[in-house]
Amino acid sequence: MSDALYVFYILPYVAFAIFVVGTIYRVINWARSAVPLKIPTTAGQQPTFKFIKRTWLDKIDSPSNKWWAFVRMLFEVFLFRSLFRNTRYYIEKGGKNVDARWLWLFAVLFHYSLLIIVLRHLRFFTNPVPNFVKTIEYLDGVLGVAIVPPLLMTGVIALIALAFLWGRRILLAKERCISLPSDHLILFFMAVILVSGLLMRYIVKIDLTYVKMFALSIVKFTPPSPEVLANLHPLFLVHFTFVCITIAYIPFSKVMHFAGIWFSPTRNMPNDNRMRRHVNPWDPNPEVPILAREGITVAGVTYKSKKLDWETYYEMYKDQLDEIAEKNYTLKAEEF
Amino acid sequence: MSEVPEELKIKQKFPNWYDWIEPIKQEDIKPGFASYIALPKQVNSEFFKMPFGDVERDVFSEDWKLPENWKEILLDAFKETLEKNRAFKVFMDICVRCGACADKCHYYIGTGDPKNMPVMRAETIRTVYRYYFTKAGRIFGKWAGARPLDENVIKEWYYYLFQCSLCRRCSLFCPYGIDTAEVAWWGRRMLSRIGLNQRFMCISIEASSRTGNHLGLYAGGMAGSIEQGLSELKDITGFELHTYINKPGADVLFVAPSADYFATPHWYVMLGYLLLFNELEERYGITVTWSTYASEGGNFGTFHSYEAAQLLNSKIYKEAERLGVKFIIGGECGHMWRDKHQFINTMNNLPKNPEWKKFWDDPDLGQLSDKLKGINLGEFISGEHGWIHVLELVAALIRHKKIDIDPSRNDHWVATYHDPCNVARGMGMLEEPRYVLRNVMNKFYDMPEHCIREKTYCCGAGGGILAEELMELRMRGVMPRMMALRYVVKKFGVNIMLTPCAIDKAQFPVAVEYWKIPVEIGGPMEMVGNALVLTSFGEKPEDRKYDLRGTPIRGEE
Repeated sequence: MSDALYVFYILPYVAFAIFVVGTIYRVINWARSAVPLKIPTTAGQQPTFKFIKRTWLDKIDSPSNKWWAFVRMLFEVFLFRSLFRNTRYYIEKGGKNVDARWLWLFAVLFHYSLLIIVLRHLRFFTNPVPNFVKTIEYLDGVLGVAIVPPLLMTGVIALIALAFLWGRRILLAKERCISLPSDHLILFFMAVILVSGLLMRYIVKIDLTYVKMFALSIVKFTPPSPEVLANLHPLFLVHFTFVCITIAYIPFSKVMHFAGIWFSPTRNMPNDNRMRRHVNPWDPNPEVPILAREGITVAGVTYKSKKLDWETYYEMYKDQLDEIAEKNYTLKAEEF
Repeated sequence: MSEVPEELKIKQKFPNWYDWIEPIKQEDIKPGFASYIALPKQVNSEFFKMPFGDVERDVFSEDWKLPENWKEILLDAFKETLEKNRAFKVFMDICVRCGACADKCHYYIGTGDPKNMPVMRAETIRTVYRYYFTKAGRIFGKWAGARPLDENVIKEWYYYLFQCSLCRRCSLFCPYGIDTAEVAWWGRRMLSRIGLNQRFMCISIEASSRTGNHLGLYAGGMAGSIEQGLSELKDITGFELHTYINKPGADVLFVAPSADYFATPHWYVMLGYLLLFNELEERYGITVTWSTYASEGGNFGTFHSYEAAQLLNSKIYKEAERLGVKFIIGGECGHMWRDKHQFINTMNNLPKNPEWKKFWDDPDLGQLSDKLKGINLGEFISGEHGWIHVLELVAALIRHKKIDIDPSRNDHWVATYHDPCNVARGMGMLEEPRYVLRNVMNKFYDMPEHCIREKTYCCGAGGGILAEELMELRMRGVMPRMMALRYVVKKFGVNIMLTPCAIDKAQFPVAVEYWKIPVEIGGPMEMVGNALVLTSFGEKPEDRKYDLRGTPIRGEE
């Protein structure tokens, strides 16, 4: 029986391997696709004559070079800049736009709480616990010291934000409509992880000694003793298993948005089209347009369009063009 | 217009994923929302040949006459798209379906159709992507949000990808920058490989690939039209004006959308260009030439595919090189500036003429005339691109006091400004037009903050949606803009909406009539033309009695 418990020791390695390999595969897969055009969504005043004022937000939202495009990416990734514009349209109120930045708020709360929770968990994997982890935990618990063990804000905030984000997918008709099973699945994983974690800390109050020994054995690559495994609380095993499943699931899911956003051409490209030419890797020397050069080949048949260069054009409309030339290329008001 | 009902109703029903993952059926394809499929004369033409374009197809018949092995062809095209465009591939993978984009789409707001939410429009393609290109989709099928291709899926793609105007408003709000325009654009490219092209845009693409402009205007017609403009200007200003066309050795090539030669209210904008160029020549000796070969600034190819866009915009640098110009001025147009700002110098090689090279070594307008010294295009443009927007140029001329302006000539206008989507989100020209308008007129008011600048609403007709058969979709899609317009009309008494976009100028007159808003539509260059004092011709500010529309400037006396 106890041998079977070693599954839990193997599990994180498998999950982590899937995560790393899967993520790298996805990223390389994206990177291998060409970027034919420079297509930033310009969300602010473009770089222009100096007398037109550009605010710092314009510089970020309509970046004039790669550096500002990078700043834009940081704003997008760490502050959810685009979501910060969110509004809701109310047709029944005559097209009134109502601020809907609560979506931004809960998204920020959710993601940052998760980040802090992950960092806090480092205390299980380190010995001695680094100071920054202790500091984070201290700050996290500052408001909840009255409770033993101290109530950590982020756990609660994450749960509330999760309830909110899932709630809108269930209760709002529009969001319910666009939600696929996979959208609910990942929220379900997060819910199990959060609830089991909170239960362990505040309600069941399980013995963390064995958990820490188990965690350390994972990072030290030394299999834990059967005694440690046998003393792991079932609730912990649920928590742990779901964390592993989630980590392994990430490369196959929409959670890959954390990496994909860096590849989003509407955000990571500068609005400097008029300063620097972008070269299309699969059409680097477009002297003649593709349709007239090689045409489109579909099912073995090539469809080629005739090229309308000046010479062809001149041949076709010779009389009219000669007439224009006779007027010395000058147009004047018609005489009546 | 008669086919659009007086009262538009929005009946919303939100199916769950299990239902919507099933594609729509033929009977769900409704007139007023479905684009006609291109005819052989458009897509099997000598100058624009698309695969399987030789068959006539009807969007309202059960049989779309797809080629026999369409599935393989489409999957090949899909694979090619994933390899050729990183944006497309990343956008297939990273959407979390948060819904931030949903009510940012004017077509969703106007139709209430859940599949018009940007996330769902892209999902019609993503579901297929998951089935053929991800393991989870293959194994779990529907439960992983995946579905195999069948004819109805193709019909759904065609129906919904051509209900998108590629305005990119959703991409502004998306936390990952997912650009539905990119998904729709490359999705349309895939459809074009199995013979499905939208008729409206292909009429223009074919005409432009054969004659040089979307309207299919021949050289003589275009010249005649400009001559007529000069006659009108003679009536209005009393001066004998002229302009150049196809002139070798001119300083600057000017490229405008072809609608400016004929349509109203585009026409008044063209009169504005002509006034400006005459003043520039008379005062500074700058010669600006039009071209009948590069007679189209707009590019309906950008609604169709990379290749079609390239086919159309390839003429302009070639013409700049042939005529030996120094740089290019672009006219007022929306998607033209997505094309001219973001695409053209990637899709084409740059002009190699010595004049171009010499100018761009030190791109100060002082090179053209000493009196213009100090206006340096090098502050944001280089010889690797070489285009300046006419409004940017006007802004600089006003700033440096190189042209004389009398804003009181526009006192009979109370204006607001509509940012064309592509100029705002594909270029970022937000402040220059406002700078110009504040200088050339006294009464200018912006619409509410949520619908201007980068957050601007689409006119509902861009991206190839300007077709007659899509009138109901257009009138629904324009609704958010019309609500905002009505607000400023009531609050400030606005009587003209200015927009530097040819498609806007075609859509809005119809839209304000439908939505019963008493306002005129025009372009900023029309106001510039009104206010521009032709000092070098001896004109005094008070000399002009009529504006470019022929209405008396200072009221009847």
